[in-house]
Amino acid sequence: MRLIRDRLVLGVSAASLAAGLLAGGVAEAADIRITMAAPDWPPTRFMKEEFDRSYQSPDGHNTVLDMDFIPWPSFYERVAASLASGEQKYQMIVTDSQWLGAFVEGGYYLDLTDMMIADPELTAIMEDLHPALVSAYSTYPHKTKDFIAENEFPAPDTRYFGFPQFPDTYVTFYREDLFCHEGEAAAFEERFGQTLPCTYEDWQDVDWDTFRNIGEHFQRAAGDPLGDGVADDDFFGIAYQAGKGYDFSTMQINAFIWQHGGGIWDETEAPNAQAEGVVNSDIAVEAFEHYLDLLQFMPPVAQTGQMDIFVIQDLYMQGKVAAIVDWVGLGEPVLDPNTSLVHDKSAFGPAPGLRQEDGTIDRTGNIGGQPFVLTTWNSDEVVQEGLNVVKWWLNPETQKNFVANGGQSGLMSVMADPEYNDLRPWNRAHVEMLDWQRDVWHVPDFFELLTQQQEEFDRAITGQIDARTALDSVARFQQMLLEDAGLIE
Amino acid sequence: MARIGSRPREIGKAGWGWTAFTSVVSLIYFFPVLWIILTAFKTRSDALAVPPKFFFTPTLQNFTNVFFRESITAQAAQATEFPLYFFNSIFIAGTSVFLALILGTLAAYGFSRYPLRGNDTYLFVILTTRMLPPIVVIIPIFLMFRLTGLAGSYWGIILLYTAFNIPFSVWLVKSFFDELNPEIEDAARMDGAGEKRVFFAMCLPQILAGLAATFVFGMILTWNEFIFALLLTGVETRTVPVAMARTMGGEIGVDYGLLAAIVTLFLIPIFVVTYILQNQLLRGVTFGTVKK
Amino acid sequence: MAAVRSQEEGGFFAWMMAPERRGPMLVAPALIVLFVMNIFPLLWSFGLSFFNYRANRQDIPDFVGLRFYERVLTDPDVWERFQTTALIVGSSVLVQLILGFLLALMFANQFPLRRVLLMLVLAPMMLSFVSVGVFFKLYYEPTFGLLSQAVRVFTGSTYAILGSPTGAIIAIVIADAWMWAPFVMLLVLAGLVSVPKYLYEAAEIDRASWWRRFRTITFPYIRSLLLLAVLFRTIETFKLFDIVYIITEGGPGTATETIAVYTYRVAFQFFRTSQSSALAYIILFVVIVLTNLYLYAVKQREREVS
Repeated sequence: MRLIRDRLVLGVSAASLAAGLLAGGVAEAADIRITMAAPDWPPTRFMKEEFDRSYQSPDGHNTVLDMDFIPWPSFYERVAASLASGEQKYQMIVTDSQWLGAFVEGGYYLDLTDMMIADPELTAIMEDLHPALVSAYSTYPHKTKDFIAENEFPAPDTRYFGFPQFPDTYVTFYREDLFCHEGEAAAFEERFGQTLPCTYEDWQDVDWDTFRNIGEHFQRAAGDPLGDGVADDDFFGIAYQAGKGYDFSTMQINAFIWQHGGGIWDETEAPNAQAEGVVNSDIAVEAFEHYLDLLQFMPPVAQTGQMDIFVIQDLYMQGKVAAIVDWVGLGEPVLDPNTSLVHDKSAFGPAPGLRQEDGTIDRTGNIGGQPFVLTTWNSDEVVQEGLNVVKWWLNPETQKNFVANGGQSGLMSVMADPEYNDLRPWNRAHVEMLDWQRDVWHVPDFFELLTQQQEEFDRAITGQIDARTALDSVARFQQMLLEDAGLIE
Repeated sequence: MARIGSRPREIGKAGWGWTAFTSVVSLIYFFPVLWIILTAFKTRSDALAVPPKFFFTPTLQNFTNVFFRESITAQAAQATEFPLYFFNSIFIAGTSVFLALILGTLAAYGFSRYPLRGNDTYLFVILTTRMLPPIVVIIPIFLMFRLTGLAGSYWGIILLYTAFNIPFSVWLVKSFFDELNPEIEDAARMDGAGEKRVFFAMCLPQILAGLAATFVFGMILTWNEFIFALLLTGVETRTVPVAMARTMGGEIGVDYGLLAAIVTLFLIPIFVVTYILQNQLLRGVTFGTVKK
Repeated sequence: MAAVRSQEEGGFFAWMMAPERRGPMLVAPALIVLFVMNIFPLLWSFGLSFFNYRANRQDIPDFVGLRFYERVLTDPDVWERFQTTALIVGSSVLVQLILGFLLALMFANQFPLRRVLLMLVLAPMMLSFVSVGVFFKLYYEPTFGLLSQAVRVFTGSTYAILGSPTGAIIAIVIADAWMWAPFVMLLVLAGLVSVPKYLYEAAEIDRASWWRRFRTITFPYIRSLLLLAVLFRTIETFKLFDIVYIITEGGPGTATETIAVYTYRVAFQFFRTSQSSALAYIILFVVIVLTNLYLYAVKQREREVS
C-alpha cells in the first residue's frame, strides 16, 4: 500500500503501478528468478558460484539466482536509489546492518518474524545463530545481544528481518617473524618488562597498554635494525582504523568507549535514552582520548584522517607496520602472495582490549559484516523460494564450504565444529571476538548520525579540536536530531 | 560557391629547440598519467614500492585480470563482462554525442539564423540544465525511466547523455554559424537556392571542422560519466567507468594495477579519436573566433 | 518520409518550414529532448521541495511551503559549504586559466612533434574522475605517495598534504586544475592560432610592448572562447564531487566538503529528499546569478571596447 501512496505523491498514476505489480506478480511455477543486490566481492561471488553448483529447490522450482554485483564503493547509492524510486527490481538484498531501520521504515525490507516462527527449519536456524548476529543483523527495532541471548526465539516484542550473509569482526593481524623474534622479544622485555606476544595465547593477554608499548617498540626509521634485517623504510608498530569515510573510525572508537564503560545513544531505550551527557560523558571523553593517544605510534597517514580499513591493510601487506586491528573480511589478501609481501609471515590473534580491575580484558567491539534480507513486493511464491535459498545458505554444509573459501559462519553449531578453527588462520580469533560484539544504531537516521560523528572524530584525529569538543558537538547534534525524529523525549 | 574562412591560417614556426622545451613541460604534465600507465604493468608490491620504481619487470597480469576473474570455488577463470562494458561505452557515448551534435546543430542554426523572441533566454535556459548536481535529478529520472521502460535500456542512457551534451553542442556550434557571412547565404537564396541547399551545401561544409571539434569535446565529457551510468544502466548496459569502481574496495583497498589497466585500455579509443581529429579540433575551435 | 519529401513545395512540410516557423522548428527537437530528460525531472524535484518528503519514509508528505528553503538558508553548515565551494571553484578555475593559457602559448607555434606532444597534455581530461581521484589520493599518501617521497628527498621526513585544511584544499585544487587546464588550453589555443600574423608583424614595427600587443591584438581573438571556457569550467567545478569524495571525503572535518558533496549527503545519505531539492534550487539560483553577472560583465566590456 505504501508504494501506491508514494507514487501518487511523486505524480505517478496508480494504474501504471497496478500494471507493474501484475507483471511482477505473475511468475511461472517452474521458473523463479531472484534478483539479488550484492556488493562485488568474494563472499557474494562465492554465494553465486555455490548456488549455481549446489542449489536444488525443495519445491521443485527451477530457480535462477541473478546476482547484481555492484562495486562496493557505490553499493549503498545503487541500492538506495533503486529502493527509493520504487522500481522493485530486487527480491533479495545484501545490506549493512545499520541500514535496517532506514529501509524497514521505508517499507522495503520484509518482516520475516511470522514465517520464521511458523517454519521449524527457520526456527532452528534462528536458535542456532549467534545472538550477537541475530541482534545486529536481524532485529528492528534493535534488541541487544543480551536480550536475544536471554530469551528463547522468538523473543518478546521482537521483529526479525535478516540473516547473516557474511559475519565479520575485527582481529589483530601481526607479523609472526617480528613478534616471535628472540632479539626483539628480549629488547621488548628489557624496555617494558613485558613479554612480546608471539603465540595466540600471548595475544589473548594483550591490552591497549601492551599494544601501545608494541607501537613504541617497533617504531623504526629507515636503516634501523628490524628483526633479522634492517628497515628499508620507516617502520611502525601498530595501526587501527582512523578514516573519515563511512564508519572507518566509529567502529574502533565505539570499542574504546564501550570498553571504558561509556556508551553511545542507546536506541533500545528510546525514547528515554539521552544523547547529551551520555555520548559526551567524562568516561566517553577519556575513552576517546585513549584512542587518540595511540595514533602517535601509527604511520603518518594517521595525521590525514584517511587511515581507513584498506589503508592499514595495505600498510600491513607492504611490510610497513607490525600489527594492525582490521576486519576478518580483509584477511584473505594478506595471505595472497600476489598482493602481500608478508603472506608467509602473518598470524592472527584477538583484538586488544581494556584491562579491567579484576585483571580480565574487555574486548567489546563493533560488529561488521552484512546480513541479507527479502523485499516486500515479492509474491508469496517468491518469498517461499527466497526462504528456501536462506535455508540452503545457512545449511551447515554450505556454511562450512563458505568458511573454507574465506567466509565466516554465524551458526554456533558450525563454529563449534572442531575443524572450524583450522579452516582459516583467523577463525579462532573471530569466534572469540564474536562474543564481544555490539552494534552501532539501526535507526533510520543512522547515516546522518554517522556522518556528523565521523566529521567531528576526523577533526579530533587531525588535531584540529580535542576529544571533549568533538564529543560535545556530537552529543549536541544527536540530541537535537533525535528529538526532532521523536526518538528522544 | 563562396569559400570564406577555409583558407588555412598561418601560425608561427619554431624549431627543435622549442620541441625540446615543450617536450620537457609536456612530459612533466603527462607524468601522473604516465605513472598510471606504468602502474598497469606492475605488481601490487611494485606499484606501492618505496622508493617508487621506475624500472621493474613488467607483468601483464593486470590486463589478464581485466578480462578474466579467478573463480572462488573452482580453478577455472571466468570471463568478465569487460568487453561488453567496453562496447557499451563506445556505443552509448558515440551514439549520444552524435545525436546531440545533430540536434545541437539544427538548434544552433535556428538560434543563429532565425532568432526567436527571447533567443538569449532560450540559450541561457539550455545552459542552466547543466548547472545542477546530477544527484538531485536522479530520483525523478529514475522513476521516469522506470515508468517508460527506459531503465536499463540503451535508449534510456543514450537519451540522457544526448540531453547532457546538447547545451555544449548548441553553444559551440552556434558560435561557428555566427561567424559565417549570412549575406552570402542571402545571395544564394536570391539565386533560387532552397533552404535545404543553403544549409547542407553552403553552411555545413564550412563548419565541418567545428563539428568535428564539438564531437571530440562531447566525447571527452561523456566518455567518463559515472553517476548516471551507475544508477541508470542495467547489467547489460553498464559502461566502463562503473566497472572501474569495482577495483576500489572489496576485500582489498584499491586494486591499483587493475584500475590502471582499465584506465589504460579505456584511454586508447578516446586518444585515437582525438589524435585523428586533432587538426579539425584546432581548426574547428579556431574557426569559431575568426572575426568577420 | 518519401511522401513528405515529394511535397517539398507544398503541404505539411512546406507549412512546417515556412520562414516564420523555421526558427522554432529547428530549435524544437533539441528543446524537447532537454525538456523531457532535464527540465521535467527538475520541475519534479522543484515540486518536491515544497513538501515534507523523504524517499525512505512511509509518511504521507504534507505541504510545507518554503520551510525547507528557510531551513537551508539559515543553516550555517550550508554557508560553510558554499564558502568552501567558492574557494575551490575560484582557485581552481583561476589556476586552470593560468595553466591553460601558458600551455596554449607553448603550443601556439608550429614545431616538430607538436601533434604528439599536444596529445600528452590533453590526456588528463580524458581520464575519468574516479581514476584521477584514486591516483591523486595515492600520490598524496604519506608513505607510498610520490609527493611525500619527493618532499622526503629534501626534508628527510614524510609529508602529509591532506593533514591540514589548507593543504587538503590545495591538494583538491591541484588535482582538478591539472585535469581541466587542457580544456582551457584548447579553447585559448584556438583563439591564439587564429590571430592573423600580419597584426603581430605590424605591432613589431610599432615596437608595441608585450602587454599592449596582448591586450589589443591577442585578447580580442581569444575573448569569446575564454568566456566559454570560464563559463563551462565554473559551472562544472561547482558540481565537483568525485574528486573531493575520493581524495578527502570532505575532510579534514568538513574543510573540503563542497556544496555538491553536501547535497549528495543530504539527498542520498540523510534521505532528506525535499531538503536536498530545496538546496539544489538554491545552488541553481546562485549559479544562474553568477553566470548572469559574468555574461553581463562581458557584454559591458565588449561595449566599452567597441
